[in-house]
Amino acid sequence: MPSRSGSVVDCFRTAICCALFGCILLSAGGAAADEPAQPLAATAAVTFEADVQPLLTRFGCNSGPCHGKSRGQNGFALSLLGFDSDFDYAALVGEARGRRVFPAAPETSLLLRKAAGQVPHGGGKRIEPNSPHYDLLRQWIESGAHRTPADAPKLVRVVIEPATRSLAPREKFSLQVFAEYSDGHRRDVTDAAALQSNDKTIAQVVDGTDGLVQAGPVPGEAAVMARYMNFIAVCAVTIPLPGDVSPAAYAALPRQNAIDGLVWDKLQTLGMLPSPLASDTTFLRRAHLRIIGRLPTPEETRAFLADQTADKRDRLVERLLERPEYADFWANKWADLVRPNPYRAGMKAVWTIDSWLRDAFRKNMPYDQFVRELLTATGSTWQNGATVIFRDRPETVEIGSSVSQLFLGVRLECAKCHHHPFEIWSQDDFYGFASFFARVGHKGAGLSPPISGGEEMIFSRPSGQLAHGRTGVPVPPKLLGGDAPQIGPEQDPREVLVAWMTAPDNPFFAKVMANRVWSELMGQGFVDPVDDMRATNPASNEPLLDYLASDFRQQGYDIKKLIRRIATSRVFGLSSVPGERNIADTRNFSRYYRQRLRAEVLLDAVNDILGVEEDFAAMPAGARATQVWTYRASSFFLDTFGRPDPNQDPPCERTSESTTPQILHLMNSPALNSKLANDAARPAKLAASDATPQKIVEEAYLLVYSRPPKDDELQGALEFLTKGENRRRAVEDLFWALLNTPEFLFLD
Amino acid sequence: MAIHQNCEGLLRRDCLKLGLGALLSGGLTGALGARAGAAEATSRKTSCILVWLDGGPSHIETFDPKPQAPAEIRGEFQPIQTKIPGAVFSENMTRLAAISDKLTILRSVCHNQNNHGAGNHYMMTGAPTRIPVSCGAFVSFHPSMGSVVSAERGAPEGMPPYFSLPSMTRSGGPNFLGAKHAPFVVSDDPNNKNFIVRDVTIPQELDDGRANGRREIRKRLDQFIRFHDRAAADPVLGADENYQQAVSLMTSTAAQKAFQIQQEPDSVREAYTRTPLGQRALLARRLVEAGVPFVTLNDGGWDHHSNIFPAFKTQGQKLEAVVATLIEDLHQRGLLETTLVLVMGEFGRTPQISTLPGSTTPGRDHWSSAISVLVAGCGTPGGQVVGATDSRGYAAVEKIYAPENLASSVYLKLGINPDKILYNSTGRPAHIVSDPRPIAEIM
Repeated sequence: MPSRSGSVVDCFRTAICCALFGCILLSAGGAAADEPAQPLAATAAVTFEADVQPLLTRFGCNSGPCHGKSRGQNGFALSLLGFDSDFDYAALVGEARGRRVFPAAPETSLLLRKAAGQVPHGGGKRIEPNSPHYDLLRQWIESGAHRTPADAPKLVRVVIEPATRSLAPREKFSLQVFAEYSDGHRRDVTDAAALQSNDKTIAQVVDGTDGLVQAGPVPGEAAVMARYMNFIAVCAVTIPLPGDVSPAAYAALPRQNAIDGLVWDKLQTLGMLPSPLASDTTFLRRAHLRIIGRLPTPEETRAFLADQTADKRDRLVERLLERPEYADFWANKWADLVRPNPYRAGMKAVWTIDSWLRDAFRKNMPYDQFVRELLTATGSTWQNGATVIFRDRPETVEIGSSVSQLFLGVRLECAKCHHHPFEIWSQDDFYGFASFFARVGHKGAGLSPPISGGEEMIFSRPSGQLAHGRTGVPVPPKLLGGDAPQIGPEQDPREVLVAWMTAPDNPFFAKVMANRVWSELMGQGFVDPVDDMRATNPASNEPLLDYLASDFRQQGYDIKKLIRRIATSRVFGLSSVPGERNIADTRNFSRYYRQRLRAEVLLDAVNDILGVEEDFAAMPAGARATQVWTYRASSFFLDTFGRPDPNQDPPCERTSESTTPQILHLMNSPALNSKLANDAARPAKLAASDATPQKIVEEAYLLVYSRPPKDDELQGALEFLTKGENRRRAVEDLFWALLNTPEFLFLD
Repeated sequence: MAIHQNCEGLLRRDCLKLGLGALLSGGLTGALGARAGAAEATSRKTSCILVWLDGGPSHIETFDPKPQAPAEIRGEFQPIQTKIPGAVFSENMTRLAAISDKLTILRSVCHNQNNHGAGNHYMMTGAPTRIPVSCGAFVSFHPSMGSVVSAERGAPEGMPPYFSLPSMTRSGGPNFLGAKHAPFVVSDDPNNKNFIVRDVTIPQELDDGRANGRREIRKRLDQFIRFHDRAAADPVLGADENYQQAVSLMTSTAAQKAFQIQQEPDSVREAYTRTPLGQRALLARRLVEAGVPFVTLNDGGWDHHSNIFPAFKTQGQKLEAVVATLIEDLHQRGLLETTLVLVMGEFGRTPQISTLPGSTTPGRDHWSSAISVLVAGCGTPGGQVVGATDSRGYAAVEKIYAPENLASSVYLKLGINPDKILYNSTGRPAHIVSDPRPIAEIM
């Protein structure tokens, strides 16, 4: 939820997606002059799918900038990364009147002469003449350029061995890539697979031919991906912090719930140790801001500090989950993800979906029901807010890729035009998945930007299938990695889809939400971006993510229970201050990660502290920023601190980095300064009251920092308050000063 | 701290070893801390104005027309003569053709990142994305040219060294250089009558004494702990940098004056055209005059999958009016010798015209194999075309240069060594540009 992630939005709205994919593999596997230990198919006949196609990927022939581009290169087109064998075979063998592949004189085949750089080739020399790979291609041509028989064993899996590896800095090791076939046989395809590290500084592929990988100079983690045909396998490489920590040190760490043990396990593999617990006041402020998005009042802080019971932190979490602010705060996060552009969908639709979201969080609607009500919505976009997602994304392909990303963490949009370049998903998967939405009916006023004010009815039609983008053939609905269920005319295919998504054995559904909620509470997901889950973007703590997902499922997809589980772990309560053995940890939750307050929370905090109200357009008096239902309620403050703007195409992501304009706004904005100087605001009232200077300082600290001042701070503030003649001005300046410090601006 | 000094003149491999040694012995903090403020004070006072055409402008409709190619490649426009012997531009580039004696056109820049996210990153940073990204991505794996210039050059007191108007480009951020080197974004439209750069001045009702008093008590009371080891990636350090920059900006008269575009005579404002882009270009010139080394003008709407010909008639002509005025104005003021003007986008467009399903107006798609870039000023020879594409505009065929070479040229012109090693927050080394060879013809 932290970001309306770039691609969810833009790929929906970008007319042409990235059919023309960048060449990632040219540099991946090393130079063309590799010497494989032995030809790939020394014992069997050399055939197209089994032997030749992998080499087209390995040497970058079918990559995006080369012949894999949708229109090909220089009249010769291959499918991107070899996802369409029929097409590729026809291109090589059927076209160009046999010049590309010429069995009568194999060496004169253009395939060999171009690849070996013997005739001018835009892609240069890719293969050494007479190298084993060259010989393999020649052998294939010589033997008649046959396809792999349809009844030949099918490739079912690719594995890397080892799957995990711990290395010392600069240490090298060789991994092996194996292809496994439906008849149970297995062969080493290391030299034909394309290898790539996701972080070359941590671990680098030195030599693609023999799978040689070398660790970089610094500790960390990297994933080395092997692509062979349309399969991907990943080897997780870890370079632990040098120096020994005794196992006893980990055994002795406290465990408040299962989360803690799983974090400590991960830290042990990296040689890291966690920070100690944060103070009570830090925890109090953190829990308030993370669970309900507002600061504790001075009374709440005093009461919490006075409470001497051992379980006061857990009880605080319980209380916060029952607060009314909870619903607005979490609905506001979901609005980032599904709120439509009012210029497209109309203002009223923006309002109905916003109300629907707030209502769902007020009821603590179980997450499976939440998703079911959204995805199977029928009725009027003016009555049932859940239907608005279908108004906002009227195209079947749009809603399909949106749903897979938001609720399954699977980014399918690449597969709209071609096989996903670093995933297993094919075009068939994409169209099969999107086809669940092919029967969504629309009636009434459709979209007619820029003004689309009308009412639309969303319903389920008795028939309809999505046409495949390449073949034009209607594709029946097919589950991701699963079957194509039979769906009768009386059934709504969306119901079938949601039943599969919310079933206990769905591998994606609970995990994506667990990762989102974790990210919202901890400042960072296990997987980042939170909705881009794939083998090539591994979670920083897979066992913990699995645990949270299964716990979430077992607790009936109760979002509050998931929040409670996380917020009552010891890990949630850790200090942000790093120690010697976790100074460089920014992914493994050995300490709490600081984050700037998000725009709405910050504006509400300023107003709460100063005792003033914001005047938003289209909102009742006294409304809070987290309750605003449209970005068209203008606020320079919210824009400066970054709220996603659905009027931008694509909208900006919500980022938490601070910027100079933000700091300038807090310092100098006329709006904030008039609040400080307002006769009815807190500074004026405190100044006019008979409170002692010390009382005023204490109140200011409790309001802004949610803690009492330390002696030294009290001293400094008192000197300032009492030195001038104008008490009110001094109190205003004191509030200005505190509001302009990082301790206010950041969640610690 | 010794590391930085030791690195001078050593091989890259040795630097890696030293970096590692420092990390393991716990000396990383000091070493990186010392690097943080290492702006090179010795650089010449050169500047760059980057006119970024977001979406990827067509090379054929601008500086690399193909009059001999078939109609489905040639498009609707005629070629026009320029002051460069033998070189023609597309007919919409008349004003630029008239000053082509001041320009170098690079016709054979190319790369292999054919979607917006990755292409933007490559051209904006001189580095390809570390992992593949999709077309919608706003990604940053390496500091943008503007951010590197900010870090290496700095600016006169009070001025942010890197401006981006009216918004940051997708990959225009600082990455590991930190928030201090993010662009200073001026979103307000200088074409508006009452244009001010909001929030950069102290509120009118406060006198200077009171504003100073506020900052003093703030300083006294700010006791929040900072994690100074950069490996800890404490976001508070970024906010501190922002605060320092904010105070400098508010107290600098040079900065305050540069923002006052209203001081320009009407004739100058008209010459730049009374459009947001035109007035932003004029503001960029004022910023450069005030010593700002890098200004990006982010101009969107160049992703012409459809409607390309009508668009170039209007949008193309508007653009060239602004760019030509900017170059002429810089020239007349003697600033062109020290100001590099770059006009480019993330890639070129497919030579073959196509019409999208559902569209009726033709356009061109993404094409990274042939990119035209306009370069002027800062010692760039005028009146030349460097490189060429084939007869149909598909591939760069001679003097082929990569984004690395372009970025290296920009850095060298701005007095920055592109082969220098920077360190990210966890101490990982990275060259400013992996291939530090510049484009010889423009140096």
